[in-house]
Amino acid sequence: MEDIYADLLQKTAAGDQLAFKKLYEETSPKLMSLCLRLMRTEALAEDVLQEGFIKVWEKADSFSPGKGRALTWMSTVIRNKGLDKLRSLKTKAAETEIQYEGLEFASQDLQPDNLEDVSQDLKGLMACLDTLKPDQKECILLSYYYGHTHQELADKMGKPLGTIKAWIRRGLEDIRPCLT
Amino acid sequence: MSNVNNNTNNATKRYQNPELFEQLAIEYAVGSMQGRAKKRFEALMETHFYLRAVVDAYENKFASLVELLPDAQPSNQVWKNIDAHIKASTTTATQEEKTPWWQTNFFKQGFGMAAMAVIVSAVLLLNPMTITPEATATAYSAVLESNSHDAMAVTKIQKSDMTLSIDIMKKVNVPDNMELTLWCHPKNGGMPMKMGTVSKSGKTNIKISKKEWQEMKNVGSLAISIEHKGDNTAKKPTGTILLQGQLSTASL
Repeated sequence: MEDIYADLLQKTAAGDQLAFKKLYEETSPKLMSLCLRLMRTEALAEDVLQEGFIKVWEKADSFSPGKGRALTWMSTVIRNKGLDKLRSLKTKAAETEIQYEGLEFASQDLQPDNLEDVSQDLKGLMACLDTLKPDQKECILLSYYYGHTHQELADKMGKPLGTIKAWIRRGLEDIRPCLT
Repeated sequence: MSNVNNNTNNATKRYQNPELFEQLAIEYAVGSMQGRAKKRFEALMETHFYLRAVVDAYENKFASLVELLPDAQPSNQVWKNIDAHIKASTTTATQEEKTPWWQTNFFKQGFGMAAMAVIVSAVLLLNPMTITPEATATAYSAVLESNSHDAMAVTKIQKSDMTLSIDIMKKVNVPDNMELTLWCHPKNGGMPMKMGTVSKSGKTNIKISKKEWQEMKNVGSLAISIEHKGDNTAKKPTGTILLQGQLSTASL
């Protein structure tokens, strides 16, 4: 699968504002979706998306196509913005206005009809995650998409804190060889 | 105070264990590292660039998860705010460029034509349309991999101290009569630059010249070959290439 955004991001690095606008139009819906899950309020999600895209504009020259895909680079930039903001605000689950709780979007097996729409990187990652026990996989995905703390995961899954910590640590240990 | 230093040193030593820092890096990348452990790890990433490189690699692996998310449209105001910010910053930069240089004493004192020639040259050289990341780079980095694609070493080249640092994270086996040599290969082919001998484990710092720094913008990849000890005559790798990786600009 070709990296359709790499060219736009490289043009952005050269100061091409039209390319940046197109990049925003094409990628912001996916990245907004990530921000909503992390920040849990629409206003905060939009703040993070905005700050994140400004950072993308400023740092686009540090994107290197040889190191990864444009969308993954952008999502890392924006997710890190979100995690910083979460930490500074100490947002609590009780304050959320948007109830995104599940992983339905990630739970469907990659079927032949949608295999063409996803990158090889994602197929490889999902194959690694599928080698884990379902609870371990769920903890890791909830950590990634929602930025849940161990305690939040323990509360959500009704398991002792120690169990959650062990699931995540062992799960990540187990998939490390698969990822490298 | 000495306890603080001891703790920091102990923590640093712990993080030099590749198995341990890879595990911590993946935990950080997923977002499961929290609290003081996360702050401690972030502080160490500031000083140990190999930790940053390993975290970057894992963050990149997990970031593809964004592809699975359903679309959610942000309000139009978000783009308006981003656009306004960009236009404001571009305008500020343009105004700074438009300093009334013709009003300076330097110009009035008769050096105007010379100054104009310098400025025209600078404008031509620094034209935003022709600026590439390499042209403005202040640092480069590369992760060197073995032939089996294991990340083995991290290299950083910085203009600030004109130093090439290479950190071999996993010990490389080298016979006693051989040594490791680092090479920079041009993007467009041709003879490589020989950068020097590197230690088979841990960190090596190599001072680079101004000319070598300027050449970095034309370098595409780095490679480490195994060479006979003390043989300074080789102009290109003669032994097996053990590690190699792409060089790219870095924001370090």
